[in-house]
Parts: sequence; structure tokens; C-alpha cells
Amino acid sequence: MQTVSNHGKMDWPIFLSVLALAIGSLFHLYTVSFPEQGYYFFRQMIWIAIGMGFLFLFFLFKVSFWEKISYFLYGVIFILLVVVLFKGEGVHAHRWLRIGKISFQPSEFAKLALIFVLAKVLAKEEEVGWRKVIISLCFTFPFLILVAVEPDLGSALLFLPLWLGMLILAGISWKRFFLIVAAGLALFPFSFFTLRPYQKMRILTFLNPARDPLGSGWSVLQSKIALGSGGLMGKGFKGAVHTQLRFLSRPFTDFIFASVGEEWGFIGVVIVLGLYFIIISRTVKISLENGRSFAGLLSGGMAILVFSQVFVNVGMTAGIMPVTGMPLPLISYGGSSTIMFLSGMGILLSLKRRPWRLS
Amino acid sequence: MFQRLDTFKVRERFERRGRLLLFLIGCGFLLLVGRMIWIQLIEGKRYYRLSESSRLRLIPLSPPRGFILDRNGERLAGDEASFSLSVVPSNIEDVDQLLDSLGKFLRIDKEAAKRKIQQAPNPFMPLPLKKNVDMATITFLLEREEEFPGTIITVHPVRSYPHRTVASHVIGYVGEVSRKELSSMGSFSDVEAGDLIGKTGIEKVYNEYLQGKKGGRQVEVDAYGRPLRTISEKTPLLGSNVYLTIDLRMQKIAEEELGKRRGVVLIGDPHTGEILAMVSHPNFDPNLFARGIPEKKWLLLKEDPQNPLQNRAVRGEYAPASTFKIIVAAAALENKVIDEDDTFLCMGRYPVGNRIFRCWKEEGHGHLNIEEAIVHSCDVFFYQLGLKIGVDKIIQFARYFGLGEPTGIDLPSEKDGLLPTPLWKKTAKGEAWYPGDTANLSIGQGYILVTPLQMLNVINAIANGGELFRPHLVKRIVDSKGRTVKEFSPKRLKRVPLSHSTLKLLRKSLRGVVREGTGWRARNKVVEISGKTGTVELPGEERPHNWFIGYAPSDDPSLSIVVLVEHREEDISIAAEIAGKILSQVFSEKVKS
Repeated sequence: MQTVSNHGKMDWPIFLSVLALAIGSLFHLYTVSFPEQGYYFFRQMIWIAIGMGFLFLFFLFKVSFWEKISYFLYGVIFILLVVVLFKGEGVHAHRWLRIGKISFQPSEFAKLALIFVLAKVLAKEEEVGWRKVIISLCFTFPFLILVAVEPDLGSALLFLPLWLGMLILAGISWKRFFLIVAAGLALFPFSFFTLRPYQKMRILTFLNPARDPLGSGWSVLQSKIALGSGGLMGKGFKGAVHTQLRFLSRPFTDFIFASVGEEWGFIGVVIVLGLYFIIISRTVKISLENGRSFAGLLSGGMAILVFSQVFVNVGMTAGIMPVTGMPLPLISYGGSSTIMFLSGMGILLSLKRRPWRLS
Repeated sequence: MFQRLDTFKVRERFERRGRLLLFLIGCGFLLLVGRMIWIQLIEGKRYYRLSESSRLRLIPLSPPRGFILDRNGERLAGDEASFSLSVVPSNIEDVDQLLDSLGKFLRIDKEAAKRKIQQAPNPFMPLPLKKNVDMATITFLLEREEEFPGTIITVHPVRSYPHRTVASHVIGYVGEVSRKELSSMGSFSDVEAGDLIGKTGIEKVYNEYLQGKKGGRQVEVDAYGRPLRTISEKTPLLGSNVYLTIDLRMQKIAEEELGKRRGVVLIGDPHTGEILAMVSHPNFDPNLFARGIPEKKWLLLKEDPQNPLQNRAVRGEYAPASTFKIIVAAAALENKVIDEDDTFLCMGRYPVGNRIFRCWKEEGHGHLNIEEAIVHSCDVFFYQLGLKIGVDKIIQFARYFGLGEPTGIDLPSEKDGLLPTPLWKKTAKGEAWYPGDTANLSIGQGYILVTPLQMLNVINAIANGGELFRPHLVKRIVDSKGRTVKEFSPKRLKRVPLSHSTLKLLRKSLRGVVREGTGWRARNKVVEISGKTGTVELPGEERPHNWFIGYAPSDDPSLSIVVLVEHREEDISIAAEIAGKILSQVFSEKVKS
């Protein structure tokens, strides 16, 4: 029996970093979108306000609540992911689900739901045997497929590092881990050849955007120009000329980091990355404090999720990762991803508020 | 079930794993920061210049389209170089002034051009202003390049069809991709607005192979829009060459013999389903489309009542008339409704219900057996025979021969034809099926409709002993490096259930048709032809259509032929005569070569 220290406290570094990112990102969005596209600024302000509400609400919850409803939550999201395929909205893909006046992306919430069930499944027994691997895979795979056919291959493939990362954290033996990776690599070409030609093209372009220099290659080059032209100090307040001249595609969502780099320069970029690093490293710390338990795996999964998103998005902007529709948590414009991230932070912070007992 | 590990060990491992995770995450962040140092601090100046001058351009490199060639390698479609004048909107200093000065020696719709420039989706992409500019103008422009800031001259391939109207329906043509086509292609395709794609025929069906893959060059340019240096480049992938089954010599002979008549000629290889000639007349010149056809001309073509754009071989639907008697005879013999010695009497007319059905020969044929009935195409014989077989079995046999459904040839929008049944008549017309309908069907008239290509399949099956092949137009596809990408082997669809004796009798009868019957005009000195004629009676004053379907040489068929003349002008079996002329030339050439 062991009790975690710090109980009853707020993790101020995380909270303040989140707050700084929220305010900073709103300010940044204001400088690049106002006044012509002030719409984005006002909408994002509302998303952040709602997200903050969830953050405080979930901060008050007991973690045992999430553990109890994790399967249920998974089921609900599963149904939503199926429904979105048939009823979903979107130009080329079915990603959005509309309920009344609110539309949202179930795939965003699928990320949290998956962390919950994986944490629950993996925390149960102390040894991660093949049975655990299969069960956890059976939870991961349906989400991956459902999101992939939307199609949102980027978000879908995010589930893989999440699953593998949580297996590692849960203590899978390295032998088993590398067997899984080897099996995956062996199966990859097989599954690749069962795909239709246009799906193959998509995957190839995904893996190597240089195959398509006229499409995504153009975006990457423009985003590199925006980033690079910021230099050390950036072009300053409302100085993101390259962004404002609409060189960048999706300047407020996928490629927003490029405009951050253009306006605020290397210094701004390092500050933003620093804030993310504080959040993620403190999250890992919370995980370690909670030990190998539901709460520990939950916070560990959260760290992997946030890191993967930041790495893929910033990497894509900087031309070292393939172009996929991956939002940058809290900074990219978008209700679903903002609310998902802030809710997740609320749950995370609640882990520190109450002691979690290791049985 | 599972091993309980000691808590301390578990905890220790968890901490190790957690720290590993943190380490990896730290590495990830260092990688990102390192990359930012490279882009923002080390390369920053260059990117700053690029963003400030904004003189970065993407020049798409379109590969030439592959050739379309006939089976002997004769070129039917290929690319030629053509020059266009393009503008880069962001580099134009004064739109009006530029258009004015260009307008002095080029015909440009100024208002339209101005709109196009102002609405350009990407101001740094060259926007074609005028295509197919002649050499003299190009030289003039190149000499005075600096007087026209913002303009550039690009060379691009333009599709050319050296044999003009020959086989135009097979080859098809290319045209600018439409909005609708673009959206149906999906985001993975590298086709963009303004690109040329195959619109019909082989150009459309094999577009994917012909078009290759686009490349592109990203360049930095100076204030006059001249490229300074290439930032990145991807070489285009050349289109593949498509070898048709068409034999240009046969195609030309067939087109010549059909002449100005409206109609269809098909020549096929009965043992493979290959099409050696496909003529549909009137036709069109695909070169018109390749260079951007003026709207007026396009409307004229499209709304021409003679429908020159339609490929009648696969989209024309006609009653098969007496050529259908082959199928009725096959159904009768295979169902043992009669045998070869049974006779019916033809008095020139025959009552069915309360109507009188006539034979084409007013005075009647007298007593005939089935062979004589085919040779002389006796209608009264077939009324009686058809009524004895019944509509269901006739239709069943028509299906065996592939009628009523597309043949599956590699051409777009092929028609089904129509096989009428009592059920069809009930639903489509709301009427019952009368014996008179069966009588009409027995001589291939009434509701039944077939395409000329379907009839080629029918005659092929007789010629090759009952095999039904999927007709096809492409022999093989070869990439730009000479490697065969795809080889098309004969595709057998099914076997028509024809016994040896039935086939023998049918072939004997078809030989008789040309030797001494209605198809005598196909007779010639070079090759013996077997076949069947047909005359489609049309309501009112309209001139009848005329069919001939056959094969040659009669003993060992190597070619099959279908000739259809719409609304024949001559009062004779002109289709048989055309078939005879074509095949005699083809076989005498064959003898020579």
C-alpha cells in the first residue's frame, strides 16, 4: 500500500502552460485572421471557453469514474464513428457529425476513448501477455479502420503509436514488442496489395509527398517559406505576410504553426514547443507518480497522444513528416480538437487532485 | 492463468519505461527544434527572400501522351509540339496595357482574359492565355520579351490524329477536363483544371495508361518572370503506347467501300474476338477537339441530326431483320422442333390471328426445308417455325448468342439492345403478347433491337464453332521504355449450345445464301463468303436499313464481317455488295502480303 504525495494539489506547471497556450493561440489567431476572417477568432474563443469549462468540470471528477465508464464510452464513440460514415458531412470525406446545430468530429474523441479502454485493459493484470496484446489490439483496430475509411488516414495511423506506446509503458517484454513490430511489418505489404489502386496511391503519397509535388509538395514548400522567413525574431504583430497572402493552404488549421513561425520567429516557436514540452513531461511525471495503474497508464497515454500530435503537425509544417490533416492541440482552429484536448487536460489534472491508491 | 509479478519489480519496470518514454519525447522535441534552427536561422535568409519577392513559380511539366497505334504499328494518334502564350498574374504590371499591346498582333478576348487573370486561383502559376500560337508570333514575342512583363511562352504537346477521320469513333479524342470529370476523379489524381484527358473512345478508356504522370519544376524567377534557378524538380513519366487490334489497311478499305452512306462496318477475328476494323459513318475529325474546338462548331457537330459523334457500332440499335433467322433456326434445330427435312409451305402470305403476314416474295416460295428457307430468307417459313418454337425459346437462344446485353467491348457507353418478352411487353407497353408478336420476332422485326457489334458476336459464334468472345480493340500496352505493360488475350465469355449437326447445317445454309440466295451480291473472285442478309422495314416512307453479316473464307473462316447501311438509297442488297467488295480486297491484299 502506497500513497502518492502532492495530493489535493493542482499541477501548476501544466495548468499555467495550458493557459498560456490557450491565450497565446487566441492572440495569434487574432493577428492572422482579424479583421477579414474574424469569424475564426470568435469561434475559437468560444471553443476555448467551452473547453476550459470541461477542464474545470473534469478536474472535479474522480478517476474511478472514467475507469467505470471507459467501455461504455468506447461503445458510444464506436457507434458515432460508424454513424459518421453514413451520415457524416464533409467535402471529400465523412468526418463531421451534426447533432442539432453542433457538428463535431467523432475521431477526435475516439483518441481519448481509446486511451481509456487501453488503460483499463492493460492495468488489470500486471503481465502483458499475448492475450492482453490481442485484446488491446481488438480495441484499437476497429477505430483505426473506421477512421481510415472516413478517410482520415493521418488520424487513423495515430492510433498505432498510441497502442504501441501504451503497451511499452504497461511493461510488455521487448521480445513480444519486437515480434509485434515484425509481424506488422510483414503484414504491411500484404495488406498493401489488397488495397485498391487509388488507395495505394493515397498511401504512397502519404508516405512520400514528393510523389505529388504539385499538391501537398506545394503546401510544404509554402509552409517552409513562411516558417523560414520568420527568422529569429519573426515579422512581429500582424506581420505574417506570407500567411495572409493565402500562400498557405489551411492556414488556421493544419498549417497554423507556419504562421506562428513567420510572425514570432524562432523565439516564438521555441516558446510554443517549450510549453508543449512542459505539459508532456509533467504528464509523464504524473504517470510515474501514479505507478502502473489505470491512472498511470491513462496519463501516459495522454502524453503519447499529445506528443504524437505535436510531432506530426510541427514535423509536417517543417517538411520532415508527411502532410496529413493533423491538428496542433489547442493552437489549430477547430472545436472538436480543442475541446478534446482541454477535457483531457482536466482529467489529467484531476489525477493529482486525488490520491490514487495502488492495490 | 497469469503470473503475478512482485510489486516492486513491476513498479521499477514501469518507472524505467516511463523514463524511456520521456527520453524519446525529449529526442523528438530536440529534432523539431533542430529542424527549426535549420529552417529559420540557417536557411532563414533564403526563405525570407522567397517570401518577400514572392517570385516562386511552379511550372508543371506535362509528359507527352502515349501513342495509339494500329496492330502493325501505324500511328493513329500522337503528340505534336505546340506553343502557348501564358501569363503569370503576379508579375503583370498593368493588365489593361499588357492586353492592349498583346491584342495588336494576337486575337484575344480582352474582357474574358482580364477576368481570367483576376480570378486566377494561384497568381504565381502560369495561366495559358492563348494556345497554339504560330511560330512567327512566338519569335516576335521572344525578341521583345521585356516589353511584355508577366508573359511567358510554353511549349506543350498537342494531340494529333494523322489519319484524320479514319477510325475516329474507335480512337476518340481528347479535350479539356470538365469540372464534373475532375470531381469524379478524386483528389489522388494528378489531373488539374485545364488538362487534356480522353473524352471518348480508346483515348478515354485507356486514358490512365496514355496520359503518363505529370512532373513539375519549382523555380525562383526574377522581376521579369525569367527562371533564375530550379528549387526542385520531378521529371514527368511518359504515357504508354496503346496498340490496337485495328488493321489500318482494312479500316481504310472498309471506310472507302461504305463511302458516304450512313452505317457501320465491322471486321473481326472470329477466333479471338479482336476487332480489325470498326467504321461508323458519318464520322468526325478528332483533330478539331485536340486544339480546342470553337463552341459553334461543337454545337453543330453535337446537334447534327445525322449524329456524327455517335459510334453506331456500339450505340446504334436496329432491328436485326432476317439476320435473326440464324438464331431462330438454331433454336428450332437444337430444340428439335423440326429436323432438316421438314418443310413448310410459303404462299407469299400467312394468317396469324386476324392479321395477314406477308413474305418478301409476293408469289411465295412454295415448299421449303430449313436450309432453303435461310438461303432464300423466306418469311412465311419463319413465321410458322417461330410460332411452333414459341417466344421463350427464341429469346433464350438470342441470349445464348449474347443479345440483349452489352458485349463488354473496351469502348464507353455501349448499348444493350432489346430482347422483347411477354413480361417486358406487359410492363413496358401494358399489353399482352400476341402470336403476331412472335411471328414478327421470328423474322427479326418488331420490338427487338441489336447493335452491330452484337451481331458480329453472333456471326463469330457460327464461324468459330459456337464460342462467344468478348470483342476487344486493344492488343497490348507498351510503356515508353518498350516494356509490355498489359497484354490482352482473347476472353471467352461462354459457349453457345450448338450441336455439330446444327452448326454444319447453318454453315451450309449461309454458304448457300451467297452462292444462290439473297446474298449473291457478296460473291467475288477472290474469296468465298458465307453470310446472311437482312432488310429492316421501317414505318411510313422511310427507306429500309440493310444488313449483311458473314464470314470468309467459308471453309475455314479467318475473318467475320458486319455491314449495316442505314436507310439505303439503292433498292438492292447493298450491304452484301459492300461486304463482298471489302473482303475481296482484304483477301487479295492478304494474299499479296
